[in-house]
Amino acid sequence: MTDPVRFGGGPDAHDSPGAAGTPPAPTHGVPGAHGVPGGGPGAHATHGVPVAGPEPRRRLAPLTPLLRSARLLALLIAGISWRGFSELGLSKFLLVVALGLVGLIALSVVSWWVTGYHVVGRELRIHEGLLWRRTRAIPLERLQSVEVVRPLLARLGGLAELRLEVVGGAKTEAPLAYLSVADAATLRTRLLTLAGHAAPPAPAAGAATAGTPAPAAAADPGRFIHRVDNHDVWLSQLLTPQAWFTPLALGFVLVQFLFEHTWGFIALASTLTAMVSVIQQPVRRVLTDWDFRLAADHAGLRLRHGLLETRSQTVPLNRVQAVGLTWPLLWRPKGWLRARLDVAGIGHDRASQENLRSGRLLPVATVDTARRVLPEALPGVDLANLPVTPPPPRARWLTPIARPAAGLTDRVFVTWDGRLTRELVLVPYARIQSVRVVRGPVQRLLGLATVHADTAGSLAAAARYRDLDEAWAIAADLANRARAARAAAAPPTPPASTWDASGGGAR
Amino acid sequence: MTAEPHSAPRSALQPWPETVAWRPVSPRLIVIELLGLAIGLGLLLVAALVAWAISGSNWFGLAVAAIIVLAAVRAATIVRAVRAWGYAERDDDLLVRHGLLVRRLSIVPYARMQFVDVTAGPLERMFGLATVQLHTAAAASDARVPGLAPAEASRLRDRLTALGQVRAEGL
Repeated sequence: MTDPVRFGGGPDAHDSPGAAGTPPAPTHGVPGAHGVPGGGPGAHATHGVPVAGPEPRRRLAPLTPLLRSARLLALLIAGISWRGFSELGLSKFLLVVALGLVGLIALSVVSWWVTGYHVVGRELRIHEGLLWRRTRAIPLERLQSVEVVRPLLARLGGLAELRLEVVGGAKTEAPLAYLSVADAATLRTRLLTLAGHAAPPAPAAGAATAGTPAPAAAADPGRFIHRVDNHDVWLSQLLTPQAWFTPLALGFVLVQFLFEHTWGFIALASTLTAMVSVIQQPVRRVLTDWDFRLAADHAGLRLRHGLLETRSQTVPLNRVQAVGLTWPLLWRPKGWLRARLDVAGIGHDRASQENLRSGRLLPVATVDTARRVLPEALPGVDLANLPVTPPPPRARWLTPIARPAAGLTDRVFVTWDGRLTRELVLVPYARIQSVRVVRGPVQRLLGLATVHADTAGSLAAAARYRDLDEAWAIAADLANRARAARAAAAPPTPPASTWDASGGGAR
Repeated sequence: MTAEPHSAPRSALQPWPETVAWRPVSPRLIVIELLGLAIGLGLLLVAALVAWAISGSNWFGLAVAAIIVLAAVRAATIVRAVRAWGYAERDDDLLVRHGLLVRRLSIVPYARMQFVDVTAGPLERMFGLATVQLHTAAAASDARVPGLAPAEASRLRDRLTALGQVRAEGL
């Protein structure tokens, strides 16, 4: 495909609207979805529910201010604390609390009065604020889940909280607190219906990439990939600064204690406590990384590890935001590295709708092992074949020690950084959320720029200190490749990798 | 994956961000920023002046001078900083650039949009302006456009959400 890549790839292609102009009706080519007029101010037709003009704003439940201020009052009282209480005396304390309560209720009532929500077209709009006004528009297609939660306090008032999970959000955005239980349930159904999926999400099968789309039995152990040698795990954790530091510190403390006699027992105990917290990290690593096993099944990558508490999770490949490889200095004689898997979003596993945890892909491995395992997380990526280029020599002024480098391969954006501890970050183009070009004053003086590829995860891929022209080219290239990768990945089959394409029932 | 475009609009003579049709933000934002600065530094200035009058210590005089110099420098940069803001709507992504000392350019695809916020503080509303911010799943994404007239803000918001729906994808 050439430059202006649109979503014109397959039979399920979206009808791309014209380049500029008014927002057109987003007619989805996806089965089940309807051509519904989009967010234009005039177009507010909804599914089967004809609404004349903009739907009126609705407020939250009238009890909301009371509940809110009750929660805040608890904070206020905790803020005053016992000490304040004893200083103020009971009557003054009660006065302060009463004044606080009145103030809080007044604020909460104002806040409740100006907070409103309504559905406009295929968006949920939430209005907030009196002085600083905010209107949040959430396209319903972007909703990943809508949850009705009933915290204890709200339950007493017969209320519920509506939590909206937006696609890709690591945290719950835009909670609507509080609504009456009936309202919350109605709104939830309505939002889900409008969003095009009345049912809970279809299992996001990684069918696009994984080889075996057949729904396997629950007991299926999956295809074995790799098992980390326990010997390597504890040895690798002995080769950490913490593990090296501890015996020295321990010896020092003992010598001090035995020969100096100036150290009391308290000093010794506190020093030991500090040391325990230092040594805790490698010990915990050994415990959690014990018996580290990797397998693959139709749903994605299966990780299983832990000595005291066995943790296992299945990571759908389309949730992998980035992979980071680190070569710690102390591991260099062994030629070891560790690999980190950066994931975001909610697991597709309906039984445990818990957040996916970012974590180890390989706690310790040789380059050969990493090369073998890496394609399981990032299909088609060969660790030995990731061409990168360094920034121009004048970048040394800004980075005298570290040796950054970056490159664009077929599937991933590759960045290197560090000198003593080398770090490699691989971001698949399809996971890039946005691209940024940042130039600080010194960089501008030298004609350099840094290109960031933002993902929903915590690993940051940045091509540091590139020549300015090259940086622009990289940024444009990243944007193009990300678009192409999204287009290729978005509509593979109707039950696609994400919710959006899975057209639910037409209600 | 079949698609593999490698066609960066690169030209040694004209780097591509300059060829994009950048839209400026409203110059009224300068007034707002200046007012905000005046309020913030004005309070400080009054406090310093009062302290100077009460204590008579010349250190507070120095502080007053420093505040005035700071205000002058900030006021001069605000004008340029507001002019440095720009945004452009391309077919598939929104470009936002801003910053004087540290220059930033963000490329945020509509497909990555999670939600759009339109905010307006008291000063902004006084001058009839609003801020549109596009949120993606990445916390680092930086797509905030201040100083838009309400009509333009809601147009941009509607366009962003409409395009985000058309081009919606997951993570």
